[in-house]
Amino acid sequence: MIEITVDKDACNACGLCVKDCPMHVYELKDGVAVPVRVENCMGCLSCHEICPTQALEHRGIYPSKRHYIDIRVCEMLNRVI
Amino acid sequence: MTGSVHHTIYRSEDVPLGCIPPPEELEDTLHGLMKLNGLIIRSLEEIAGRGANAVTYRAGRKFGHEVAKYFRKIENIEEALVELSHILRGQYTFELWKPADKPSFIIEENGATFIYLVFHDCIVRQTLRRNGQEQGGPLCQTLYGYVVGAIEEITGRRAKLEIVHTGPNGCLKKLILK
Repeated sequence: MIEITVDKDACNACGLCVKDCPMHVYELKDGVAVPVRVENCMGCLSCHEICPTQALEHRGIYPSKRHYIDIRVCEMLNRVI
Repeated sequence: MTGSVHHTIYRSEDVPLGCIPPPEELEDTLHGLMKLNGLIIRSLEEIAGRGANAVTYRAGRKFGHEVAKYFRKIENIEEALVELSHILRGQYTFELWKPADKPSFIIEENGATFIYLVFHDCIVRQTLRRNGQEQGGPLCQTLYGYVVGAIEEITGRRAKLEIVHTGPNGCLKKLILK
């Protein structure tokens, strides 16, 4: 079961997530993006990539493998962060 | 090179047993392959233009037939797709998907019968993102060919795969049944 949370303070109502989502999960309501059809979300995370304010958060999605991210870079980042 | 290397005796059948490289070593190979594949596709696009899609589709289709020919034949398309998803695990992980208002995975709309597939893990996506290349291009056509080839092999049915949406964590494809 996927859950989507929108940070209302961060969302600037640009509407990019509304346009980009192929399943029309989002709608703009009162100057904020609202996930109105969460049950249709397939977890592609295009909305995350396109959101300029990083206002979106997904729970319960399948995180795809990202082998293109260098192991050494990840290790280094983990040490720093 | 150490001296001990020269004195070790290898029989031809022993060599694969000794092939247990650490992940860091495998990663270098994987990244090299991803880089190479990305450059091949970019060059192919530059030289062959739209013809690049035909080449990659054909390559993918051959790959699909090749992989799926060792598996049992299934008539039921849904069952075949689940089987295929197991076959391709590690390269492409996908699942059947439907919008909430549809009663079944097999959808009939405007005279066409199709099934939505969501691809999660995908070596194509990883290669493209490794190289900063756009998704949905010729390299994605290999996947199109792969699924079509495998479905033809398993079910004996002809099919077409359409890219509906590409994303960083998953891609939505439409498998149109003929």
